[in-house]
Amino acid sequence: MTDPMSEPMTGQKMTGQKMTGQKTTGQKTTGHGMKSPAEGNGPVRKQPLQLGGREHWRSLDQLSGTKEFRGWVEREFPENATELSDPSRRGVLKLMAASLGLAGLTACQRPVEQILPFSRGVEDTIPGKAVYYATSMPLGGVSTGLLVESNDGRPTKIEGNPKHPSSLGACSAYAQASVLGLYDPDRSQAVYRAGNRSSWGDFQAFAGPHFSNAGDGAGLRFLSEPISSPSLEAVRSHVLRKFPKAKWTEYAPLDSGAAKAGSEIAFGQQAGPRLVPRFAYDKADVILSLDHDFLGLDEPTTIPTREFSRRRRVSSEKDSMNRLYMVEAQYSVTGAMADHRLRMRLGDVRRFAEALAAELGLLPPTLRVLNNGQSKEDRWVSALARDLKANTGRCLVVAGPRQPAAVHALTYWINEALGNLGETVSFVETGKAEKPSAEAGRGTNTQPLEELAAEMAAGQVDTLVILGGNPAYNAPADFDFTANLKKVANTIHLGLERDETAVLCQWHLPEAHYLEAWGDGRAHDGTVSLQQPLIQPLYGGKSASELLAMVSSHENLRGYDIVRNYWLARWASSAGEKTWRRCLHDGLVPDTAYTVSRPKVNAKAIRAALKLAPAATSDGIEIGFYPDSGVYDGRFTNNGWLQEAPDPMTKLTWDNAALMSAATASALGVEPGDVVSIEAAGGETMMPVFIQPGHADRSISLALGYGRMQCGQVGQGTGRNAYLIRTAAGSGFLPGAEVRKTGQKHVLASTQEHQSMEGRPLVREATLEDYTEHPNFATEAVEHPPLLSLYEEPSYDQGHQWGMAIDLNSCVGCNACLVACQSENNIPVVGKDEVLRGREMHWIRLDRYYAGDPEDPQAVSQPVNCQQCENAPCENVCPVAATAHSPEGLNDMAYNRCVGTRYCANNCPYKVRRFNFFDFSEGLAEVQKMAFNPNVTVRVRGVMEKCTYCVQRIQEKKIAARADGRPLEDGEIKTACQQTCPAEAIVFGDINDAESRVSKLKAQNRDYAMLGELNTKPRTTYLAKLRNPNPELT
Amino acid sequence: MSDLAIYSPAHGDALAEVSPPLVEGQPSHSKVTDDVAGVTERAVPRAWYVAISISGALTLMLVGMLAHQVNTGVGVWGNNAPVFWGWPITNFVFWVGIGHAGTLISAVLFLFRQRWRTSINRFAEAMTLFAVVCAAIFPVFHVGRVWRAYWLLPLPNSMDMWPNFRSPLLWDVFAVSTYATVSAMFWYVGLIPDLATMRDRAKTPRRRRIFGLLSLGWRGSNRQWRHYEKAYLLLAGLSTPLVLSVHSIVSFDFAVAVIPGWHTTIFPPYFVAGAIFSGFAMVVTLMVILRWVFSLEHLVTMGHLEKMNKIILATGTIVGYAYGIEFFTAWYSGNPYETFVFLNRAMGPYAWAYWTMVSCNVIFPQLFWFKRVRTSIPAMFAISIFVNVGMWFERFVIVTTSLHRDYLPSSWGYFSPTMIDILTFVGTIGLFFTLILLFVRFLPIIAISEVKGAIEADHPAH
Repeated sequence: MTDPMSEPMTGQKMTGQKMTGQKTTGQKTTGHGMKSPAEGNGPVRKQPLQLGGREHWRSLDQLSGTKEFRGWVEREFPENATELSDPSRRGVLKLMAASLGLAGLTACQRPVEQILPFSRGVEDTIPGKAVYYATSMPLGGVSTGLLVESNDGRPTKIEGNPKHPSSLGACSAYAQASVLGLYDPDRSQAVYRAGNRSSWGDFQAFAGPHFSNAGDGAGLRFLSEPISSPSLEAVRSHVLRKFPKAKWTEYAPLDSGAAKAGSEIAFGQQAGPRLVPRFAYDKADVILSLDHDFLGLDEPTTIPTREFSRRRRVSSEKDSMNRLYMVEAQYSVTGAMADHRLRMRLGDVRRFAEALAAELGLLPPTLRVLNNGQSKEDRWVSALARDLKANTGRCLVVAGPRQPAAVHALTYWINEALGNLGETVSFVETGKAEKPSAEAGRGTNTQPLEELAAEMAAGQVDTLVILGGNPAYNAPADFDFTANLKKVANTIHLGLERDETAVLCQWHLPEAHYLEAWGDGRAHDGTVSLQQPLIQPLYGGKSASELLAMVSSHENLRGYDIVRNYWLARWASSAGEKTWRRCLHDGLVPDTAYTVSRPKVNAKAIRAALKLAPAATSDGIEIGFYPDSGVYDGRFTNNGWLQEAPDPMTKLTWDNAALMSAATASALGVEPGDVVSIEAAGGETMMPVFIQPGHADRSISLALGYGRMQCGQVGQGTGRNAYLIRTAAGSGFLPGAEVRKTGQKHVLASTQEHQSMEGRPLVREATLEDYTEHPNFATEAVEHPPLLSLYEEPSYDQGHQWGMAIDLNSCVGCNACLVACQSENNIPVVGKDEVLRGREMHWIRLDRYYAGDPEDPQAVSQPVNCQQCENAPCENVCPVAATAHSPEGLNDMAYNRCVGTRYCANNCPYKVRRFNFFDFSEGLAEVQKMAFNPNVTVRVRGVMEKCTYCVQRIQEKKIAARADGRPLEDGEIKTACQQTCPAEAIVFGDINDAESRVSKLKAQNRDYAMLGELNTKPRTTYLAKLRNPNPELT
Repeated sequence: MSDLAIYSPAHGDALAEVSPPLVEGQPSHSKVTDDVAGVTERAVPRAWYVAISISGALTLMLVGMLAHQVNTGVGVWGNNAPVFWGWPITNFVFWVGIGHAGTLISAVLFLFRQRWRTSINRFAEAMTLFAVVCAAIFPVFHVGRVWRAYWLLPLPNSMDMWPNFRSPLLWDVFAVSTYATVSAMFWYVGLIPDLATMRDRAKTPRRRRIFGLLSLGWRGSNRQWRHYEKAYLLLAGLSTPLVLSVHSIVSFDFAVAVIPGWHTTIFPPYFVAGAIFSGFAMVVTLMVILRWVFSLEHLVTMGHLEKMNKIILATGTIVGYAYGIEFFTAWYSGNPYETFVFLNRAMGPYAWAYWTMVSCNVIFPQLFWFKRVRTSIPAMFAISIFVNVGMWFERFVIVTTSLHRDYLPSSWGYFSPTMIDILTFVGTIGLFFTLILLFVRFLPIIAISEVKGAIEADHPAH
């Protein structure tokens, strides 16, 4: 059981002939979709478009590698035999093109056997009906469980897996957009050796002798991203046992290292299992976040949003809600949701935390005074401390990943003092859940990146295997990783892209996308999710496990066998197969969550750590480093959906910028669009200036992930590289930067040029207190004359009447809905120049408004999709009746009737209509077209388009219900935006059914129609926003 | 009203009071014929070739721009969200407005028996037609799928689809096409006696054949004259409501919308006044040049120009009043969106366009209160150019400033034209002048027969 590498082989033998059916049918079909519960149905092949199918034939070959079989192959497919025996990149591409291009033809000379038409029906498949598979996506060391929609073998839409603890049905914009990454034609498509195209065969010919001669692995080093996959960890243990002197480094530019280091300080367990905090945001009445953007970019999952929003749900004026205090430098979405926000330099947050601890009696009272004792900060701290104390056991203090470990440790202490441990905060043992023996081995064989870089510089590394990641681009600037990489004799890089690291390595190997490879991973709570591929690797990529197997055992083990055998070994043999199938179907392995520990805080160690940590310097400008809402750490730079998704706060697309307050900008003598040079820690980077209202003064925020030098067409030339000045010590923030104007200008493309609501009642907001006094404040906000119509209005009281309610009190403005909509509705990406012209195509957008003091405003976010007005102003002005009302109250758009006068868009008060100014879908590679949803028309140039309430989803469920002879259930139809909303802020349903969720929401007194005074009678209505400020601070 | 000269086509009229002569120098009938018809018969001046090669080149450029746009997409223009209509619709309304003077001079002044129209009506009608041609280009080509633009016509089709009769754009289709048809007919009917004159004077068989064909067998018999004048009167009656309807309906494109700055009841009269204003300004601009180039000062007299300048003054004042009353209404309505739009017009990012419009349309034409200005050729030429520019800006201000900041500040934007926008508009100016140049080259630019009638009326004793 302890040696996973021996098991796959026995597994293979064991399965042998019995598995023939499944083997010949490709790996993914052994997975079982949520929609096809029947299991093990012989030669099932769900993909007619079997791309790069050589694996499939190789396994057949392996199974039946007899002469007779070969002869049969030659006879049957004479042309193909050569094609398949030499899997080159060109060959794969040709097959791909052929299978796409010749899908409907039978008389061509191309290798048509790749196409398996559904002429003989495959059991459980209904042509045109999507199948859903459970899988998981690793990001930031956490796997999020997903349900992926597959249309005729093409994964097209990512949804959260409702059963999965890291998802609960929702997923982030990153996950939504990952399907576009799968079909990225700029992904790495071939093996490269020293910059020249090579093949896996060549690599094996190199790797076999090379690793056989590696001996004990003294000069052998592995560098990977943080691993949360149990099976990969097992493979790693095997590798490290085989090469006992080899060492393993895990590095990611964004991680939760500070939180872990904080727990090491607070609980003193350097060698033992690592304790990681888990916060229950839904149990806290009062939350203080110290620079932790837990609703936005600082959490890899959307769970905090889900939990937080639960406590923002208010159904009447008698309800209560939580209170959020935010202390931060950059204006984050969490800051926008906060009831009280204090803008503060990142370096000052520690002092704030100490003052709070002092106020709570944990630290000496001398630390209590922040400024002069009378400042806003000081009043804030004392009011906050009282509020926290009043909510002992029901409050929560969290710190962000940019903050030093000592601050994290201090928050744990504060939480303990406030009685929150075991209530809103728990600590889990990440190291202990599985196989402590493997873990024990890990300690000795691991090393931090710093050590690895030093060894590389000293020439002690002979072979470096980089498994994913892009350290040449994102390693700390002071490690000089790029230069050191050149000193390593043998470098092997496995990656999705031919990126900065790939071009520097001797070998670059294409990595399989998570939708192409078998694997597993841990959710934020430790639950193991299985990663089930939905498609054969498009470009012949391999997973990290497969590569490790190749280099350590010289075996072509399949990822499927590695994962499956790892888990089968863990279950009783009788139930193993059944459990495996159950887990594949559900997407997770039950009862694998981390165990909760009850540690005691070591106050002394924390005091010592606080003393050791350097005091914040107040001079100079501080630079903070943040993940980017679009490209994260740079891994999504080539993803058009994410590049074009406007940043939730700045609304910037296709770029990053030096975010600063207006005061900082005027102190530096710069204006928006000026390019500044930022020098810090020996590096320099250039950034365009963007004024962010509410940003802390003398602080600049930079989003990571831009300015890639080796990137696909989409990401090439976007933004500037902030890693150039990011050091290991200053990975969160760097004090004392030198900023100067360069005289250059850079145009930034923002989707929202005006930030004020101009006093218009668009987002209606009140405090909880005001709401109690004026329960109808939302509808009372506007006075208008009686609303009459020129035309006789149809009565929409028959059948289904679709409507939507959006709760502005829970929406955090995270962009998940926007990208989900883009994926569901085949919305094109238009590029920076077109965004500058205001021609972005998003059917749902997030309007963000600031209110109050321009230096320190409050912010609100409002999702706006087509409001489906009953008196739609767009409809009566269309001269060709291309947009008309359906009996179910939808404002339908007939694309092929539209001639494109654009009058409808002019006349739309909500400006939700989008026009195809060009053929935005022109010039897509064939592989990109695979991402399209077949149920939604791809619009041609010259036609108008807009949100349809996902009419294709409505129809699908209506048809299903009618086929079953039953009424539609409330909640059965979910629009794409609603389905993925982590805050569950969007509710869609039948407003003709008084019992539906949407009807009940619309019946609330907070419900209002935006611009309802125009008598448009919108079907999308909003629930007014509430804030719950501390009466002491208002 | 000393210059109120009443003309009755049937009776040759004697009611005319003592007034300045409509035609100077009492030319003989044959002199009038020679002067007007001679323009098309004499050798072509070199200047004409220069002019038409320039305008022809611009027309070719227009064709190129439109081909590029059809080939690539509407995106080659500056149109964006929220300004989905930019220059094309501005240009459309501008050209339709220019076209207004023709019908007004031909039909309305005819019915009101304003005999001074005779010297300018032919040219104004031609100008109308050419302006409508230029105007029609824009709504057709600005749609996203030009090849489907015919769907706006109520043609029988297999889909059993009618166009949407609630849409002002459809009304536009009918209004503009009716206007173009009636104007063309009116112009042609008016041309018939003169075409016969041209036929009779023709020196080459080709000219004789072409003009013979075009003059539809006109012999100038009493019976023909009687039918002709009836028909002309009827057509004038038919065209008169069009003067009001075309621009009223064009204004509905805006007034029917819910967009603040568009949604206003003042638009129909305001647009009609503006159209007459711009049409007369264009007539003055062109007439000042033509009468000089072709030495027709005795037929198109200062009296004619002065009368047109008075109309420019009157309609300019109406337009100025409309600008003012819009602000009053915006304030008085208490509608914050409406108020905002007008403040934004005057003080927002497009204030430069607004104040260009106000100075060109309201301030400069007021100089026509002075007779010296009104009768000065350079002054009226300059002012008429200002009015042309100002009226283009009026349409730009209405289209763009209302759209660029409407209800939701999140969607506000700024519009700026692309080179293609500019070149397309310049191209239509080229087309307009090409057509004008062809017209002055091949057809009588002044209604010979009517002028002869006017000479008679100047001397009722005859």
